[in-house]
Amino acid sequence: MQKSMIRYLTISFLALALLVSCGSNPVRELPSVTVESPVFENKYFSDPVFDYVYKTNISVYGNDLSGIVIVKKIKGNAHRVVFTTDFGNKLLDFEISENDFKVNSIVEELDRKILINTLREDFRLLLREKFQIESQFENETDNILESKDKKKYNYLFVSKNGKKLHKIMHSSKRKEKLSIIFQSENNIFADNITIQHQNIKLKITLNYLKN
Amino acid sequence: MKIRNIVMFLLLFVGFAAFAQEQKMSDREVAVFKQSVNAVSKKITSLSTDFVQYKHMDFLAKDIETSGKMVFKQPNLLQWQYKKPYNYSIVFKNGKILINDEGKKSAMDVGSSKIFGKLNKLIVGSVSGDMFDDNEFSISYFKTKDNNITRLIPKDAALKKYIKLIELTFDKQDATVTQVRLMESSEDYTKIVFKNKILNAKIDDSVFNN
Repeated sequence: MQKSMIRYLTISFLALALLVSCGSNPVRELPSVTVESPVFENKYFSDPVFDYVYKTNISVYGNDLSGIVIVKKIKGNAHRVVFTTDFGNKLLDFEISENDFKVNSIVEELDRKILINTLREDFRLLLREKFQIESQFENETDNILESKDKKKYNYLFVSKNGKKLHKIMHSSKRKEKLSIIFQSENNIFADNITIQHQNIKLKITLNYLKN
Repeated sequence: MKIRNIVMFLLLFVGFAAFAQEQKMSDREVAVFKQSVNAVSKKITSLSTDFVQYKHMDFLAKDIETSGKMVFKQPNLLQWQYKKPYNYSIVFKNGKILINDEGKKSAMDVGSSKIFGKLNKLIVGSVSGDMFDDNEFSISYFKTKDNNITRLIPKDAALKKYIKLIELTFDKQDATVTQVRLMESSEDYTKIVFKNKILNAKIDDSVFNN
């Protein structure tokens, strides 16, 4: 009885794994075109003089948190990121670049490895300025630039009309893991940003705080 | 020698300037001050005031400014409402915290979080000035021409992690709080300035429905 149960489960898992892996990456189905430029620059957090201050809502497994996120470009390619409550109490303060990550302070309630690691990866992608482009695809409205990110890929959706970066999709060969959606009036500053995870129930929205 | 003289002069001058601005209260002055604040805060049945909040962090080019209205009604109803640059209001009521974030409502128990209970007490205390609890804080007292200033260092280890020092500035005229500064570290603080304060007006409980 138990044996057959295990076998049944194994088969189900295998079937499931096959089904999932059979789903192919939709970007790669699109027509491939010549790479326009070997490097793409995301300018949304690139000005070292500017204080990037956003009201944030974090929705995680049905719980909603609200507060303020401050991003500032500091030395080199690093950024300082601070989360505070609406009252101004600092919840989390870290410095991040492509290769380094340092937590300056964190409140006890948030001090969980899984949370820190997730935010680290999200913000590393959000704040990354330079992407090496290996391939390029297109659909009706966008040029889609493919950039390798270790074992995964980043797909940058840049509108043909206006050349605006409006989406970064972080994906394995076959499956979307995370996407960042930008709304921008120009191509140097984003008014609204949504970070949406596909494999965990986590969504972070950022709305620019006009002072 | 000359340079040393200049440095000495500067040190003295700066020291003197600082003293001219702010002086430590004498024991007698402290007693009188505490009595007047307690007398005023005892008479407060309600308080509503506009406020501007400045979040200062050393790495920012300018402070983050938010503003709104605060309403307090005895014994423990408090609404803190941000209107600019976004709508967000938080009500402390019967051991609960009610949040209205641009129309999105949520609630949580203060009881479930000891630190929130302490923060609640601290916020109400900051506004009414009823904060002179020597068991909770190490308190020092100063005066300037127009204001009395108290600096409170939390004794509670949990609270101390969030707030290193609370500075309350009182108007000498009416002995109510005009400014609160919550220092998280030497570089970071939140400053809240109260304006257009109205004492003891009739306030309906429905204000705190959020």
